[in-house]
Amino acid sequence: MKSKIITIIFALYIFLFSILGIILKDEIISPTERRKLKTFPTFELSSEYINEVDKYFLDHFPLRDTFRSIKANFNYKVLRKLDNNDIYIKDGYIFKKEYPTNIASINNFIKILNINKSKLSPSNNVYLMIIPDKNYYLKGNDFLSIDYDYIYREMDKLDIKNIDIRDLMKLEDYYKTDTHWREERLDKVVKRMSEVMNFKYNKINYQKNVYDNFYGVYYGEASVNVPKEKLFYLTNYDIMNAKVWYLENEELTSVYNLENLDSFDSYEVYLDGASSYIEITNDNSNTDRELVIFRDSFGSSITPLLINYYKKITLIDNRYIKSSNYLDYITFDKQDVIFMYSTLIVNNSVTLKG
Amino acid sequence: MIFSSIVFIYYFLPLLLLIYFLVPSSWKNFILLVFSLLFYFLGEPKYIIVLILSCIINYFLSKLIEKRKHKKLYLTIACIYNIGQLLIFKYTDFFISNINNLFHSNIPFMYIVMPIGISFFTFQALGYVIDVYKGKHKSAPNLLVFMTYVCLFPQLIAGPIVRYSDINKELVSRTHTFDKTYEGIKRFIIGLSKKVLLANVLGEFSKSLVTDTLLASWLKPISFTLQIYFDFSGYSDMAIGLGLILGFRFLENFNYPLIAKSITDFWRRWHISLSSWFRDYVYIPLGGNRVKKIKWLRNILIVWFLTGFWHGASWNFIIWGLYFGILLIIEKLFLGKYLEKTKVLKYIYTLLIVVISFLIFNANSVSEIFMSLKNMFMLNNIPLTDKVTNYYFRSYLVLLIISIISATPLIKVLTTKIKSSKYKIILDILEPITYLGLLTLSTAFLIDASFNPFLYFRF
Repeated sequence: MKSKIITIIFALYIFLFSILGIILKDEIISPTERRKLKTFPTFELSSEYINEVDKYFLDHFPLRDTFRSIKANFNYKVLRKLDNNDIYIKDGYIFKKEYPTNIASINNFIKILNINKSKLSPSNNVYLMIIPDKNYYLKGNDFLSIDYDYIYREMDKLDIKNIDIRDLMKLEDYYKTDTHWREERLDKVVKRMSEVMNFKYNKINYQKNVYDNFYGVYYGEASVNVPKEKLFYLTNYDIMNAKVWYLENEELTSVYNLENLDSFDSYEVYLDGASSYIEITNDNSNTDRELVIFRDSFGSSITPLLINYYKKITLIDNRYIKSSNYLDYITFDKQDVIFMYSTLIVNNSVTLKG
Repeated sequence: MIFSSIVFIYYFLPLLLLIYFLVPSSWKNFILLVFSLLFYFLGEPKYIIVLILSCIINYFLSKLIEKRKHKKLYLTIACIYNIGQLLIFKYTDFFISNINNLFHSNIPFMYIVMPIGISFFTFQALGYVIDVYKGKHKSAPNLLVFMTYVCLFPQLIAGPIVRYSDINKELVSRTHTFDKTYEGIKRFIIGLSKKVLLANVLGEFSKSLVTDTLLASWLKPISFTLQIYFDFSGYSDMAIGLGLILGFRFLENFNYPLIAKSITDFWRRWHISLSSWFRDYVYIPLGGNRVKKIKWLRNILIVWFLTGFWHGASWNFIIWGLYFGILLIIEKLFLGKYLEKTKVLKYIYTLLIVVISFLIFNANSVSEIFMSLKNMFMLNNIPLTDKVTNYYFRSYLVLLIISIISATPLIKVLTTKIKSSKYKIILDILEPITYLGLLTLSTAFLIDASFNPFLYFRF
């Protein structure tokens, strides 16, 4: 009798998930992974076909995220693993393992940086800021990380004025569930930039706007229960009245795209996320200085805080546009030019175009 | 298709069982055969013809052998066909590569893709024909029964190598009880958990140890040994469990090999169906140990050369087989009797030999074997440990401890003791909960393996 009952329970368990998997409507996108889910593959006479079918069922398995959470908790709490899928959680902060140091990538980064630099005019003032990713501030010696000293040593060898901000930043300056730094804590970085780049720093009182439902990019990856965060975006007259032109849609728009707050990646509120080439014009500026920022996504959230100091800011993202293409839109002459990249890009520079 | 996949556990298996238990007994073999062929077809569509042809040819050859006229000729044809098939599909490029190296020739490679499970179903069919020849059992009553035997999906692609004589009665008539089904479910979940929760994770650990340190040089082969044990024995457990659910009782293929007291003992506990196959169809026909000493030693080396070669078309597998052959000879000649007298040393000795054997098994080249051995025995100037080794060692330590405990009969002994005590009721309640938990956890691990975040969003 016992065997009968237990056998039936197991059969029901298996059949329940099979039937649910078939009858539940397929999701198109996974919000936690920020990718399209597999559709059922069309039949082909290949041993790969069944693997594709398996991938489809894996993508659409009922309670998929719950199962992932079970695995993550088992890894952290029972197996006492230091990471799950390369994700560490310490003091409420989620970190993604960035290891090992990719020497070839660092060399490639330098090569591409030099290609861009060769396009500049001698009249340009050129600066470099390598933003430490938040793993740099991970306390304790347990976790594996890239060799930051090596990266900064290599950057020091370049013939570019370096703006080192490692001493300025703290772990609190980064989001707990995301890879990026927090706009509302970057004024000190602007101040450091002003000291090196010779523009007059003012203590500006920004209006602090809040979005309190922010789950960063690591939240989905971590698969454990971590509270949501507040995302702030700062405004003042100059920021709100700046004209922003994007190459992709060739339209004038604003510094913050508030529609993105409720999207998969709320951080895209800053300058509308990924974009190859952006021009921001501040008609209220009392200076004629212009700034060009070669940047990654960290640049999106600091740029609004620089609007007050420049007449025009041009952002170039080398992951989406080559030098031969951006030269159609910009002429280098007397601008301040800053190469502003995170250590994550330096260590994964394969995405950069020359 | 593999057992440890969502598509198998949650779609293929329920569909098969639903139909299998709904149809009358006379239809069960047909349904099993259809699903077994579908199972193979989905994993290897183009080579299903090789499997079907192998079944038909061996079936008719066994019928001809049974007629007693020219039976030796038909046996020879069966041997040539089966071994030839294996040689062509599995070893062609290996031979070409060695001929090219030896004679500096430039014969182009054939790049033949090996049909999944060919080493298993060929040995199964060949063993069957030899047994019919020797009169150990009658040939299968019809082609359906024979094909069901050879193609039976639980054991088709990774064993165990089931003998016809072990399941011939069940092939014709078998009983299905809830006790047997529950036993099968438990066994399947144990196998699934071994594969998904232990072997796969141990594989990650083994791969993570990339730096040359003394600690890593030992942890790597130890974790690989545990990985291959849980992987292979897990697959056998799943096969045995599925067999039980379908009414078959396959013989055990593993019996806690990592607690063996000698290499002789290890091979009585590891991949039992393969070692007994070689014993019955190669070693004994060669004369076994009932010949002159020199021939006996030759027989041992032949068997272990073939055992190694069976595992793969590469020199490291041959070295691996001969390594065991030589050690078995040493044990049989003199070491065995000394080992018996020791209490702990025999276990350490066996584990050391086994761990090194899997280092050889896993190596990509002969030079890699020597480099790893030099690291292990401090003949290279490498640090004791480093940050990377420490990180992964710490991260996988609990898993290592669980794996080591699971490789011993400790849990089995404990549960058997509790079952015969007054606390049996606790076990009765905990047992199904544990198995359901293991199934859920294994499913969670399988699903998480598909997690594939779009990495652009990191930056």
